[in-house]
Amino acid sequence: MTSVAIDWTRCDGHRLCAALLPGRIALDEWGFPVLAAYPVRDDELTNVRRAIALCPALALRLDKR
Amino acid sequence: MTATLAAPDAVTWTIGTPRLFAGLDRYATLDYAAHLAMHGPLPHTDRSHLTALLGAIALSGRGGAGFPFATKIQATPDGAEVIVNGSESEPASFKDRTLLRRAPHLVLDGALAVAAALRARRVVVAVHDARSAAALRQAISERQVRVHVEQTAGGFVAGEARALRRGLAGGPAIPPGRRAHLAQHGTLLSNVETFAQVAVALRLGPHRFRDTGSHAEPGTTLLTVSGAVAHPGVVEIPIGTPLGIVLSAAAAPTPLAVIIGGYHGTWQPPSAHIPLTRQAGLGAGVIAVLDASTCALGELVRVTAWLAAQSAGQCGPCRFGLPALADDVARGDLAGALRHAAAADGRGACHHPDGAARFVTSALHLLRDEIERHRMGGCGRPVRGQLAVPA
Repeated sequence: MTSVAIDWTRCDGHRLCAALLPGRIALDEWGFPVLAAYPVRDDELTNVRRAIALCPALALRLDKR
Repeated sequence: MTATLAAPDAVTWTIGTPRLFAGLDRYATLDYAAHLAMHGPLPHTDRSHLTALLGAIALSGRGGAGFPFATKIQATPDGAEVIVNGSESEPASFKDRTLLRRAPHLVLDGALAVAAALRARRVVVAVHDARSAAALRQAISERQVRVHVEQTAGGFVAGEARALRRGLAGGPAIPPGRRAHLAQHGTLLSNVETFAQVAVALRLGPHRFRDTGSHAEPGTTLLTVSGAVAHPGVVEIPIGTPLGIVLSAAAAPTPLAVIIGGYHGTWQPPSAHIPLTRQAGLGAGVIAVLDASTCALGELVRVTAWLAAQSAGQCGPCRFGLPALADDVARGDLAGALRHAAAADGRGACHHPDGAARFVTSALHLLRDEIERHRMGGCGRPVRGQLAVPA
């Protein structure tokens, strides 16, 4: 199962991930990401990888287990 | 009637036969001679013997998370550093300091046995307070063993396992962002009571250890009982003892609510049948009792504000979410509080936001009538401070 994981100590609420992955990542009232609970589908992987690479705080990663 | 644990020396009592607390009815502190007379010498152990023993008695960590200790030992490589976590940052808990001050040799025995089994390079006991540090140093000098005592800075999340290791290594005492297991760093860390239980188990062996407690969770455990009780203190009980027995022994005549597991635990109605097990959320063993002489909502407001202030501030959902939650609770905004609690859950580097959310959510469910009464003009009761909050 693959999911998106957040290093909360790095995330500064830049909001980019939510713009790149609408539907998977929403924002709370302070601009911090709220992740959808369901696992990452294969057809989403390219977009998810792109969002991970573009996070200004390098706070996102793929978690495979 | 009401007592919080501001007292530097908690009273100890037991239900059933004491193990960790054997001799504490006679001695203020068991020095090495008294310890040996009471418990006998520490049996020799090695990795395979210790792992088998701990597996057979299903010993779980006593710091709150309840991780199986045998599994932790198996995952830790030889040459590791053994850290005994005595930082006890939970305001309503006093059990670890009680063990360190009054039965320090039991803790040292457990730490030395684990260190021998792992061929550890170093044994460290980390404490927050000077008195426990002094008691340990005295005990160490009585038996000429190489154990380091480190007195670390206070703070609720500073006692979290990975935060503590980081602080001891010279870094900031806050949880790291990635959830790597300590074993990967060559560190074995557990709570003070876990090591004391190892010392007891090595002497009793698996069969006698299982003579008391529940089938799934054998043996005894320590509770810290506080709040609206006539006899507050640190109590050794067989695991699985019903809450009602502890409440009557502590003389809680009219309990209204009980907090089980501390300020990351849950508010429960004082149902006599609740078995005190880690399965039932016992955590680090905190039992805090509220009665109808205090404003329960006011007590909740104080603790929630304290929890918010304990955020290390490094994770946004905790840094902003917990103060918002505390504000909701203070205003009696039930819907807002439930929403902010749900939003904090699972969104941090450590379990502080999850624990705070669990604490508040369980309280709000239990206190629905109380909150309604406040909306209608208040309950007319003072906030007595039955729940301890550090200044």
